[in-house]
Amino acid sequence: MKMTDVMAYTGPDEMMFGFAKKPVTTRRGLVIGGGAVIAEVVPHPRPGSEKTMRTLLREFERANEDVLERCVNIGVPSVVIENEHVFQMTDNAKWGMEIAALATHQIREYEEQYGLKAAYRATIADIRKPDMVNLRDSDRTRKVLEAFDACARHAEIVSIESIGGKEIFDHAIIRNDITGLLFSQAVLGGRDMAWLWPQIVGIATKHGAIPGGDTDCAQANTAMFMAAGFTAKDVPHTLAALCRAISVSRSLVAYECGAVGPGKDCGYENPILKAITGLPMSTEGKSSACAHSSLCGNVMAAVCDLWSNEAVEYHRLFGGSTPAVFAEILSYDVAAMNAAIALGYQKEYQACLIASDRYRSLHGFILCPDNAWSIGKAVVDNNESYYVRAKAAAMTCAALMLADQQLRFTTFEKESLLGYLKEMESLPPTEANFIDLCLKKYSKVKGFLPAAYGL
Amino acid sequence: MKDALNTAPIFTRYDLAIENAQRRTVRQVSEDALLQHVADCLVAGDEEETQKVVAEVLNDRAPLEIINKGLIPGMKEVSRLWDLGEYFLPQVILSSDAMIAGIALCEEKLGRTLEKKAKVVTHTAEGDIHDIGQVIVNSLLRVAGFDVINLGADVPVDDVVEACRVHKPIMVTGTALMTTTMTAFPKIAARLKQAGLEIPFVCGGGAVSEDYVTSFDLGIWGKEASQAPAMAEDALSGLSWSEMRTKWNG
Amino acid sequence: MPRLAIAMDLGTSGFRAQALDLGSGEMLSTAITTRHPLPGANVIDHLHFALELGVETARDLMIQAINQVIAQLRVSAGDVVRLAVCGNPTQLSLFQGMEIRDLAFAGSRKLLALGVVPPKRAAAIRSAVEFPGLVLPGECAVIIPPAVHDEIGADTLALILQTGMLQDGETTIAIDYGTNAEMVLAHEGRIYTGSAAAGPALEGQHISCGTLAIPGAIADLEPVGDKHRLIVLNPEMRPVPGSLIYLREAVEIAAAAGPKALAITGTGVIAALDQAIEAGLIALPHIRTADSRLHFGKDIFLTEKDLSEAGKAIGAVRAGYFTLSVAAGIAPAEIHTAYLAGASGTYMDALKARRLGLIPPRVKAVRQVGNTSLAMARELVMTPEKLQEMSDLAGRLQKTHCMFALSKTFASVFILELSHWTEGMPMAKYRELLSRYRLPDLPAVDAEPQVHRTVKQDIAEPGRIGLVTLEHVGMVAALPLDGCIGCMTCVQVCPGNAISIRQDTNPPTIFLDHALCNGVACRRCEPGCPTKVFHLNDFFDLTLGRKAAEDDSARSKRWR
Ligand code: B12
Ligand code: SF4
Ligand code: SF4
Repeated sequence: MKMTDVMAYTGPDEMMFGFAKKPVTTRRGLVIGGGAVIAEVVPHPRPGSEKTMRTLLREFERANEDVLERCVNIGVPSVVIENEHVFQMTDNAKWGMEIAALATHQIREYEEQYGLKAAYRATIADIRKPDMVNLRDSDRTRKVLEAFDACARHAEIVSIESIGGKEIFDHAIIRNDITGLLFSQAVLGGRDMAWLWPQIVGIATKHGAIPGGDTDCAQANTAMFMAAGFTAKDVPHTLAALCRAISVSRSLVAYECGAVGPGKDCGYENPILKAITGLPMSTEGKSSACAHSSLCGNVMAAVCDLWSNEAVEYHRLFGGSTPAVFAEILSYDVAAMNAAIALGYQKEYQACLIASDRYRSLHGFILCPDNAWSIGKAVVDNNESYYVRAKAAAMTCAALMLADQQLRFTTFEKESLLGYLKEMESLPPTEANFIDLCLKKYSKVKGFLPAAYGL
Repeated sequence: MKDALNTAPIFTRYDLAIENAQRRTVRQVSEDALLQHVADCLVAGDEEETQKVVAEVLNDRAPLEIINKGLIPGMKEVSRLWDLGEYFLPQVILSSDAMIAGIALCEEKLGRTLEKKAKVVTHTAEGDIHDIGQVIVNSLLRVAGFDVINLGADVPVDDVVEACRVHKPIMVTGTALMTTTMTAFPKIAARLKQAGLEIPFVCGGGAVSEDYVTSFDLGIWGKEASQAPAMAEDALSGLSWSEMRTKWNG
Repeated sequence: MPRLAIAMDLGTSGFRAQALDLGSGEMLSTAITTRHPLPGANVIDHLHFALELGVETARDLMIQAINQVIAQLRVSAGDVVRLAVCGNPTQLSLFQGMEIRDLAFAGSRKLLALGVVPPKRAAAIRSAVEFPGLVLPGECAVIIPPAVHDEIGADTLALILQTGMLQDGETTIAIDYGTNAEMVLAHEGRIYTGSAAAGPALEGQHISCGTLAIPGAIADLEPVGDKHRLIVLNPEMRPVPGSLIYLREAVEIAAAAGPKALAITGTGVIAALDQAIEAGLIALPHIRTADSRLHFGKDIFLTEKDLSEAGKAIGAVRAGYFTLSVAAGIAPAEIHTAYLAGASGTYMDALKARRLGLIPPRVKAVRQVGNTSLAMARELVMTPEKLQEMSDLAGRLQKTHCMFALSKTFASVFILELSHWTEGMPMAKYRELLSRYRLPDLPAVDAEPQVHRTVKQDIAEPGRIGLVTLEHVGMVAALPLDGCIGCMTCVQVCPGNAISIRQDTNPPTIFLDHALCNGVACRRCEPGCPTKVFHLNDFFDLTLGRKAAEDDSARSKRWR
C-alpha cells in the first residue's frame, strides 16, 4: 500500500466548510462535501435499554424517528444519522443489522413522505481489546468483521474507531512518554489499521456501502480529554497537541486503504486529513458539549462537511428528546454556514470561527486550516514510514507552536514541550531501529503482543 | 444582502411541499365511472346510497371487482383523508358502515362470504355497558380488512373464552371503563391460557392502566383505538403477546 | 327541651348536614365535609370498596363519619328526633347496608350471572337503632326517600321538587353538574330523566391542578383587558376577587387582597376554557400557548389532557340533554328554561357554560338553585308527608326514564362530541353530521338569557350557630406491621399521599388515611412491599385498625 505523497489542497486558503475536493454520494443520492454542510446527529441509548434486542431496537427507533421528525418540522433539507454500536450490537451482528435495517427503513419513509434526504452511518464497536485478545485472531475480531458485513447491507456509511496500540498508549500517556506515544499511535495503530481497513473496504464495497473513515478517538482524544481545561494539570496541553499531530499518521491509513470519507466525527485530526486527502470530513465542536468539553468548539467547523454532536444519551428535555433537540441545534449551526456560502460570506464566516479559538488553546491553534495544512504537508513529505511521518508531524506541530508570537504557554507546558522535542530528536531516524528500541522498552507492558501487529 | 438568496441548501419548507403534493380533496380511485361512483358514495359515508348504487352496478360489474376496485380503494381514500386531518372519526365510522353494507350485497351475489385477512374478537367487559371505545375499535379494524367478531357489551368471561375457542382469532380485545369491571380481564387471560389459547389480549378503556394490563399474561395495553389495526397486523404477522407487549407498551 | 332534627345530604364528594329546631323551624347550624369517608372519588370506587370489604364495613365507615358530622353541628344529639337523608341510590344504599351489586355493575348479563335481584329502594321511615353505631337516640326516626331506578335517585327527585320546574309550564331542563350528571326534562306535562355520567371533571377532579369546590378554589375568571381576575372561594365559600393573572404565562400580575388561590375547581375550568377560546388560545384539541398550558398564576395550570377530560364531560352533558330532547320529540333548541344544580351549578357562570355547550343553546332563562338535595332533606324533616309526594313522583318517572346506555342517539352524539373535543372537528361539520343522522340541529347560542341566581353560595343559610367545615373525615387506621422493614416504598408510591409510617415503634406502625386513599382499584401500595406484609384491606378492617386510629396523638406525629 502506497503512502500518500501529495497534498490534495495546494494551500490552506482553498479549504472551506461544505466543500471537499472529492465529495461522496450515498446510495440514496445524498452528496457529502458537495457545497453544503450537513448535520450528523448521533443519539445514544439509555443504559439498560441494551438488555434485549427489542428494547434496544425500540430505543434507537424512537431516537432516530425523533431526529427525522424534528428535521421535517424545522425544515432541514438533509441530515446524516449515526448510530454508534454499543457492545451488544457488534457482539451479536443481528442486533446491529436489525437496527440498521429499521433506521434505513425510517429514512426511506421520510424521504418518500417528505422528500427529506438522509443517510445512516453505522459505526461498529471495536470490541477487540488488545490487552485481552489477539487483535488479528480472536472471536471478537471475527465478530467485528461480521458486524460490518451485516450492517453494510443496510447502512449507507460504515465506520469504526479502531483501537490498535491502545495497550501501549495507556501505559505511555500517564508517564508523559512521547516515545511510547509515537510507538502506540503511529507504529502499532497504523499497522493494525493497515491490516483491518482493506477488509472493511472490501466488505463495504461488496454491499454498496461507503467505507467512511476511522478516528484516533481511543488515543489522541484520550490525551486531549486528560489535558482537559485550563485548570487541569494531568497531561500538558502541549503533549495532547503532539498526540493529535501523531494521530494523523495512523488515521490516514484508512484512506490509504480505500476509505473515502466522510471521516468519523470525533477525529479532531480530521482538518489535517482533509488537507491531505481532499475527502469530506465530519467534525464536532461546540454542539458536542453534551458529550465532552473542548477548547476548540468553533474552529472545528472551519473545514467540516458534516457537523456532529458526537453522542447524546436519550432523555427528555423541555424542548423534546435529546436527539430531536440536538438535531435542531446542529441544523441551525449548519444553516448559518450554508447561508454564509449562499451569501458569498463563507471566508468571513470561517475567519470568525477560526479567530474565536486560534489562541484559546493549543488544540485550537494547530487545527486552524493553515497549521493543519502545514502539519499535513510534513506528513506527506516524510512518507517513508508511519513512524517517520508521525515524528515529522509532531516536530512540525511543535515548531509551529513555538514560532507563533501570540500563542501563550504556561511554564509547565513550555518546559515539557521542550523536553519532548529533545527526546524526539534523540530517537532513531528509521522505523526499524525505533521498533527494536520499543520492543525492548515495552515488552513487559501488560497484554502487549507484538505478533498481533505483525512484529 | 443579495436580492434572491438561494435558500435550498439552508432550509426546506416541507409544509408547502406537502400542500402542493397532496390535494386535500377526494382523489379519484378508479378510471371506471361506475366503480368511481361506488367509491364516491362510500367516501361520502352514505350507507343507503352506497347500497343503492352497489345494487345497480352489480348488474354490470362482478362483485369482486366492485369490492376490490371500488369499495376497498374508497375506504383507503377515507383513511388517507383521516390521516391528513381532513376527515374526522364519525365520518370514518359512517364510511365503514357503508363499506360493510356494500360488501354484504356483493357477497350475497357471490353466493359466499369473502375471505378476510383474519379474525379479531372484540368485547366490552362483563358488567360494563360503555361500548363506545369498542364501537370505534370495531370500525377501524373493519376498515383495515379484519373480520370482527363483535361480542358487544356486558359479555361474560365464559362467552369471551368460548368465542376464542370457536373462532381462533389472531387477537382478542376488551374495553372497560369501570374499575369494578376491569377485573374480568385477568380472569379471561387466565382462562385463555388454561385452554392453551395464547392469543394476544389487547385491553383498553378509561378504567384500565398500562400497569394493570401488563400485570397479567397475554395482556397488552391499548392506549388509543387507532392502534388496534396495527396491533392486529402484528398479531397476524406472528408476533406473540409478549413481543407485542414490548413493542406497544413500556 | 327542644326537639331537634337533622337534615343530611350524603353526597359522593362529601356530606352536608344541618340542625333545625322542630318547634320553631329555625335553622341552627351547618357542618360539611370536603371529602367522602370511603376511599375513592366516585360512586364506583365506593361500590368497589363495598364489594371488596363488605357492605357492612362501608356502612360502618359512613356512619362513623356521619357521627363526626353530627358532633360538629354542636347541638345535643340526644335531643334529635328526626334525621332525613338524601342522596343518590349508591349513597343511600351504602348507608343502609343493602344490596349494591346492581349498582356496581351495569348490564343485565352480569347481574343475571351473579343472581342479583335489584332491590326496590322504596321510601322508608326507619328508626336509629337499625343503624348500628349511629350516635342518635334509638327511637329517632330516620327518613329515607325513594329511588326511581339505579341511575336516578332521591337526589334527582329533590332536583325536580325543589326547583319547582314542573310548575313552570315551559319546556324546562334541570341538570345536576355532578359526576353522574343527572338531568330532567319537562315538556308538555311529561318528565324525562337520564344520567350522563359526565365524570368528575366538572367538579374539578381528575384535573391536574383541580379540586372540589373548597375555600381557595378558583371558581370563575373575569376578563380585565387581556388579563383575568381570578374569582376565588373564601373561607365562607363565597366567591370573591383574587389575583390578576395572564392565561398565557405562569406569572402573577398582581396579588390579591383576598384569598390566595390554591387550585381550580370545575366552574373555574369551565370559565377558563370559555375565556381561552374567546381569546383564541384554544384550537381544539390544542392549547396555543408557548407551553401548551393555560396558567392561573405561578403554579396552577390546565394541560391539554385536562382539556380533553373536561371536553368529554361537557360532551356527555350535551349528548345527554340532546338525547332527552329527542326522547321528548323536540330539538334541544326548543328548551326554554334551565335549572342548574349541584355545587358546580351554583358557582358556574351560566353565560360561559352556555357558550361551551353545558346549557342548551337557546334557553331564555337560567336559574341557579344550589344544593337541592339538602333542601329536600330539610323539607322532609319539617314535613315528613313529603315522602309520599316523592314516592308518587318516583312511580311516574319509572316509565319515562331514558337509559342512555341503550340509546343510539346518545352514542352517535357522544362520538361527535369526542371528535369535536379530541380531534378538533369543527361545529359546522358536527351539525352537518347531525343532519346526516337525521337528528335535530344544535345551533349556536343566541342572545343572552336571563340569569337568576337564587343562591349566592352552596349553603345559602348556615344557621345561628354557624358553619363548620370538617377537613378531615373518616379514619386514619394504624397498624403495627410485623415484618415491615420501614423501607417507605408503600409511602412513596401512594398517589393519594394516604400512607405514613412511624419507625420508632417496633415493629414500625403504618398509618393509612381512608379518605385520602384513591380506592381499592388503585392498590399501588401492595405489590412493592419487599416483605409482602402490606395488605390494603387490613387497614379497612375496623377491628384491626380502630384502636390506634382514635389515638389522636399518633396522628399529630405523622411524618412522611
Ligand atoms: C359516555 C359515558 C357513559 C355513557 C355510555 C354510552 C356508551 N354506549 O358507551 C352512559 C351515559 C350510558 C354512561 C353510563 C354510566 N356510566 Co359512564 N361515562 C361516560 C363517559 C362520559 C365517557 C366514556 C367514553 O365513552 N369515553 C370515550 C371512549 C372512546 O373512550 P374509551 O372507551 O376509554 O376508549 C379509548 C381508549 O381507552 C382506547 N380503547 C378502548 N378500548 C380499546 C380497545 C383496543 C383494542 C384499543 C387498542 C384501544 C382501546 O381507545 C379510545 C380512544 O381512542 C365517562 C366519563 C369520562 N369523562 O370519561 C363516564 C364513566 C366511564 N361512567 C361511569 C359510570 C359510573 C357510569 C354508570 C355506571 C353511572 C351511573 N349510575 O349513571 C352508568 C352505567 C349505567 C347503566 N345502567 O348501564 C364512570 C366510571 C367510574 C369508575 N371509576 O369506574 C365514569 C368514569 C364517569 C364517572 N362517574 O366518574 N356512561
Ligand atoms: S397506593 Fe394504596 S393507599 Fe395509596 S391510594 Fe392507592 S390503594 Fe390507596
Ligand atoms: S413497603 Fe412494606 S416493608 Fe416497606 S415500609 Fe411499607 S409496609 Fe414496610
